[in-house]
Amino acid sequence: MMNPLSSRAGLTAKLYEVNWLLIALVALVGMVGVTMIFAATDGVWSRGAQQHLIRLVFAGGIMLAVAMTDIKVWYTLAYPIYAVALIMLIGVDVMGVSVNGSQRWLDLKLIRFQPSEVMKLAIVLALARYYHDLPKYFTSRISGLAGAALIILFPMALILRQPDLGTTLLVAATGVALVFLAGVNWRVIGGAALAGTIAIPLFFRFGLKEYQRSRILTFLDPSRDPTGASYHITQSKIALGSGGVTGKGFMNGTQRQLEYVPENRTDFIFTVIGEEFGLIGSLLTMGLYISVIGLCVWLSMQCKHIFSRLLILGLTTTFTLYIFINLGMVMGLAPVVGVPLPLISYGGTVILTVMTGFGLVLSAHLHRQNELPRSHF
Amino acid sequence: MADRGTGVDEGIITRRTAILGAGGLGVFGVLASRLYYLQVTKAEDYRVLSDDNRFNFNITMPSRGRILDRHGESLAINSQDYRVVMIPERVKDIDATLKRVSEILPLRETTLKRIRKDINEHARFVPILIDDHLDWETFSALNLNTPDLPGVIPEVGEGRSYPDNGIFAHTLGYVGRADVKDVEKDKDPLLRQPTFRIGKTGVEAAADKTLRGTAGRLKVEVNAVGRIVREWPDPKDQAIDGKDVWLTIDAELQRHAAELFEEDSGGLAVIDVVTGELRTLLSMPTFDGNMFVSGLTQDDMDKLNNDEKRPQYNKVLSGGYPPASTFKMAVMLAALESGLIDPTSKVFCTQKLRLGNRTFHCWKRGGHGPMDMRDALKNSCDIYFYEISQQIGMDKIAEMGRKLGFGQAHNIGIAGVKSGIMPDPAWKQARLGNGWRMGDTLNASIGQGFVLATPLQLAVMAGRIANGRKALTPNLLIGQDLPEMADLGIDPSHLAFVQDAMWSVCEEPGGTAYRENGLGIKGLDMAGKTGTGQVRGISASERRSRLRKNEELPWKLRDHSIFTGYAPYDAPRFAVGCVVEHGGSGSKRAADIVRGVLQRALERDGLGPKTELPPDGASL
Repeated sequence: MMNPLSSRAGLTAKLYEVNWLLIALVALVGMVGVTMIFAATDGVWSRGAQQHLIRLVFAGGIMLAVAMTDIKVWYTLAYPIYAVALIMLIGVDVMGVSVNGSQRWLDLKLIRFQPSEVMKLAIVLALARYYHDLPKYFTSRISGLAGAALIILFPMALILRQPDLGTTLLVAATGVALVFLAGVNWRVIGGAALAGTIAIPLFFRFGLKEYQRSRILTFLDPSRDPTGASYHITQSKIALGSGGVTGKGFMNGTQRQLEYVPENRTDFIFTVIGEEFGLIGSLLTMGLYISVIGLCVWLSMQCKHIFSRLLILGLTTTFTLYIFINLGMVMGLAPVVGVPLPLISYGGTVILTVMTGFGLVLSAHLHRQNELPRSHF
Repeated sequence: MADRGTGVDEGIITRRTAILGAGGLGVFGVLASRLYYLQVTKAEDYRVLSDDNRFNFNITMPSRGRILDRHGESLAINSQDYRVVMIPERVKDIDATLKRVSEILPLRETTLKRIRKDINEHARFVPILIDDHLDWETFSALNLNTPDLPGVIPEVGEGRSYPDNGIFAHTLGYVGRADVKDVEKDKDPLLRQPTFRIGKTGVEAAADKTLRGTAGRLKVEVNAVGRIVREWPDPKDQAIDGKDVWLTIDAELQRHAAELFEEDSGGLAVIDVVTGELRTLLSMPTFDGNMFVSGLTQDDMDKLNNDEKRPQYNKVLSGGYPPASTFKMAVMLAALESGLIDPTSKVFCTQKLRLGNRTFHCWKRGGHGPMDMRDALKNSCDIYFYEISQQIGMDKIAEMGRKLGFGQAHNIGIAGVKSGIMPDPAWKQARLGNGWRMGDTLNASIGQGFVLATPLQLAVMAGRIANGRKALTPNLLIGQDLPEMADLGIDPSHLAFVQDAMWSVCEEPGGTAYRENGLGIKGLDMAGKTGTGQVRGISASERRSRLRKNEELPWKLRDHSIFTGYAPYDAPRFAVGCVVEHGGSGSKRAADIVRGVLQRALERDGLGPKTELPPDGASL
């Protein structure tokens, strides 16, 4: 068994110990992104592919920096980070910048960013710490559940107000997954499932904006608007389906060339993969994602403390949900909610969030033998 | 982990991870089977869909606004145009297809070159024009053959058409394909449509933004050969047609003026003496603007360029001619306004006047004898004006010339209006670099030498003299905001004197433009002035032997026939300026044309007692 790495351990030693396999897999997915954005933009390097590569390198630097930082630091900062993210979400509500009709951006002059992205990481940090500190027998009690529920519901409500249905679902699902992983008993799970069945129709009726409702209705019945909202889905299915088993070949996609598929370098990038590389390319891409996810789960199992384990699993859940929602949407299995395909879709914020997340995963694994304190309630 | 017995159970985390992991793999399984369904089971259906029905956004073209005369008669319209276009995206082999098309519709090499250029410059789904203005037989033959020619689409579009065989061509201008410069200047997506035509000259260019309209969008579903199978129209995406543009022109009057010109070359303008509206703006001979719309052949181009009468040249706005004796009104007014000349004192005309070692001649053999100012205009005596111009000085004459509108380009809203030349000593110094000489003043006093004026300026001059109070400014486009006309600033009694002298030219026996039956409308008189613009030097030897008659000279060397005048004399309505290039004496050709035009203008204005009004009964 290897010795615990102290926070003072040499950087070289740490760089040697960090899990390079995960870094390599993440880089590989990123390169798939660069290639497909290149194809989606008619082979014009400057229309996204170049920018995507630069962002990957930049975010990779941040990932390594986060990985080198002792997990104790992240443990200590878990609640403060959560608090800051919450305050920023309130800030967006009050003084955010509106893009495409949604108020998601906070303009800090120097950088403009989405606090909801920070919250995706912060909620995992906060819940991981919460369950690390929580005595076991509180997990399924009202008091223990109430604490977790507060951590989840505050940001959920704020993100939904923006309005951003995709991120709301992502944050909520990640939170619920962590509560489940932490070992809440099946009685509570059954009760929650029942409550959900009642709450969802009410939420659909009163909690959503008109366009969000319309997207979901269109998803359920695509024929109700063949040129409007379901146009995306229909065209995206045609692009995928016409790719067949082997695809039309790199840069040969006709649907893509004719720009029938809207936003095909961002949320609908998978249609380009499916059209140009067919079933084989699509399955290989999915296989690549499964390897990343599987490796992360494997890394979590080697960790000594609850915090590290739940942190890795929570972050992996978020990453997986991104993929599920995006692929489901592109294949016509889920409504169009505007969730990108992580590391492949063009767009800076997601790269930064996901890569920082992997930084935390690497840090948790790298410092898996280190001692963590435990604050008691 | 059992440390202190608290904390979440590690075993539980591992078990729950396994459950979630299994669920995750399940979802991936669902996604993979969905992919299999889309990309294998349904692949063929989707392949057909991707090849066949596609949505396109087609640009829908607005109709170009018409250009109408003051009574609403159409001068420029859109007519049905049979044409054939090609959508390169749907064509497998462009060269073979063009070859097939040219078996039905012969295509010239230049046309083929243009088609290839268009294909390279536009997106693959933009329809490229193969040829337009097809006759019915060719069009139906193409229609029959379309099944063999995927991507080739015969269609009925709108083409610009000028019904009046060119009489309005110079004013209207014409439309043509937008060139690179147009596209750079103007980002309107219409300009990138190969079937779009932009105004190139004249009113078509000046009012292009009004006439053009706004492009619309139409979402269409098209099949593999480019046929539209369904349209998804959206009312808010409809094209907005261009607006009609109304001109002050009276088409009927202009047609009459063109008839009076017959085969002659020149320009004529009729202006409303009160409002400045141009009732006629004619340049002869004309050219057919329709030729420019359909594309000129080299043959047509050569014919136009080699014609010595220069059909394309807009003589009424751009042609600079010596105003000749019509300029004498300016000299008279300068004389009266300066107070230096007593209009009743006489000058004795012996046909010759010596200045230094040069001799200046009057046009009349043997001279006019004693002339006062009124007689000098009536008889158009040159010697009188040589004499008084020396006393007035060129600066004062030029100042009066400018007051009457010489030397300035009147803004009538379209391009091509020239300023002519109103020379004075400062102008000559700046332009030619040498000093003004008395001989220059003498030449200018009879409208020769450096003085140049356009037929429009001649009309404006007569209009200003007739109006008497305002510096009349011409206008052409109805509905334009017009600036307030400035005061003319000439003593009314002096103007009355000149008006009377101009009346004597036309209405007193002996006047250079006197006709027995006058205007041809009982009770109405006209006033005017003849001019005979010399275009060649006359040598001393020719003068000694015998002046050659105009008919003996080649056309190019004959005098310009010039006339400017207005009617009715006592309540002026219209003023006319007219130049007949190389038409001989101003007392004949130009005077007759102007007389006929004024007569018709007054009749159409309801002033004449004539019963024979045009069928549309248009009168104010």
